[in-house]
Amino acid sequence: MSGVTKVTTGLTGLAVSKNPHHTLGILYSKILRTLQKMPQDAAYRKHTEEIISERANVLKANQDVEVIEKQIGCGQIEEIIVQAENELILARKMLNWRPWEPLMKQPPAEQWTWPPAQKPKN
Amino acid sequence: MASQGVQRAIREVKPILSLDREEARKRVLNLYKAWYRQIPYIVRQFDVPRTVEQCKVKLREEFTKYDEIKDVRLIDMMVIKGQMELKEVVNNWKQKGHIMAYFKDTLEPRPKDFLSKFLQGKE
Amino acid sequence: MSMLRRLFPVVVRSTSLLNPLKTNSQRAFATEVTEAPNETRPTFRKIDQVSVGQLKDFGRYCAECLPKYIQKVQVTAGDELELLIVPEGVLPVLQFLKDHHNCQFSNLVDIAGMDVPSRECRFEVIYNILSLRFNARIRVKTYTDELTPIESCNDIYKAANWYEREIWDMYGVFFSNHPDLRRILTDYGFEGHPFRKDFPLSGYVEVRYDDEKKRVVVEPLELAQEFRRFELSAPWEQFPNFRNANPAQEEVKTEKEKK
Repeated sequence: MSGVTKVTTGLTGLAVSKNPHHTLGILYSKILRTLQKMPQDAAYRKHTEEIISERANVLKANQDVEVIEKQIGCGQIEEIIVQAENELILARKMLNWRPWEPLMKQPPAEQWTWPPAQKPKN
Repeated sequence: MASQGVQRAIREVKPILSLDREEARKRVLNLYKAWYRQIPYIVRQFDVPRTVEQCKVKLREEFTKYDEIKDVRLIDMMVIKGQMELKEVVNNWKQKGHIMAYFKDTLEPRPKDFLSKFLQGKE
Repeated sequence: MSMLRRLFPVVVRSTSLLNPLKTNSQRAFATEVTEAPNETRPTFRKIDQVSVGQLKDFGRYCAECLPKYIQKVQVTAGDELELLIVPEGVLPVLQFLKDHHNCQFSNLVDIAGMDVPSRECRFEVIYNILSLRFNARIRVKTYTDELTPIESCNDIYKAANWYEREIWDMYGVFFSNHPDLRRILTDYGFEGHPFRKDFPLSGYVEVRYDDEKKRVVVEPLELAQEFRRFELSAPWEQFPNFRNANPAQEEVKTEKEKK
């Protein structure tokens, strides 16, 4: 194993991952499966699928952890795992929230004007 | 004006806690009971120079002061604040002065007629 | 790859990877060249138009991902991105900004409140968040009135706990599902919310030590001299002709509106 030589991530509370390649692969496939439940044209699904499949391709193409880190370019492999975990949680919550639907409600009139509009004097 | 009032009534609002009057009423009663049961301990704990009976009268007064409030959300908000206050009392975060503030015992009635105004030297 | 990353070349270690993703998302958000001329006055802050363009791209990206919640995207003070959202969308938007790969806004810097009594929903709640990964900040704003509760974001950002208590104490905005919502700055027994615009400058009560009672007493405020009302209208209303001379914000057009 290539990762055995690493002793610490240098980040508090973030332990060195025992088998990062495997963990990450599972996480990515889980995310992709969750995304599949979303409608085809949801922007969140499209963008996330792009990111994940790109990272998954890097993962598939390389075995060496260092090369993967370098190619993904988003921190150490442990951080990448944390990011994937977060994305998975987010994606599952998104299924409930359904953010791809049209805007819930318009703001009240003059809500976002600045300087604030004056109250009509009666 | 009337049409505005109707619009107000129809406007959908997000409930704070209670969905209808009955539920809000139950919450108020629960809060009242909680305070009522706490009174003997309050009197002892804070060495309040009042009897338990006097405190109970005061408690009733504090609640009936807001009799005319009918808005469910307003009632909910006041119940929430009342609960926070009870918590402050139970945990001893309030001190004697805060408890006695309910009784307003240092407050002198404002002079009404001319002579007492004159004697107090006001206006 | 990510809109934000292009802002900060330090983070980018591989450029080859950026290519596959540039296909559709980047083309859609081709950074528009801003028409604002470069600031030459020596005492004025220079604003990097390139990074502002990237921030706008990112704002559009968020609006595209969360069309249900984002009402408006704008850039204020030259280079500060703001998302204006519906009150129900606080949790989804913050969760998205925190956990999405392209955002990673993992730090909650502050929650602020604002009171504009002339509005129908008079309070604004403002979340300032920071992404250490992309060295970027974003502001999320929502609105409420005196009685409408807002979801507490304590489950997403642990730092929100005290900030929300502060907003509750100062403005009286109720946060539902907060684990420990109680006063934080005012004294026990204090009435009213001091940061509301209709709160009198001197407060409602005064507190003094009573020598007879040997304790602190609370009494309604009585000023020796009748408090004189000063009509202090807001400074920006003195010159109504110049209200919008310097626009406070610049709206970012989102995909929705373009259609």
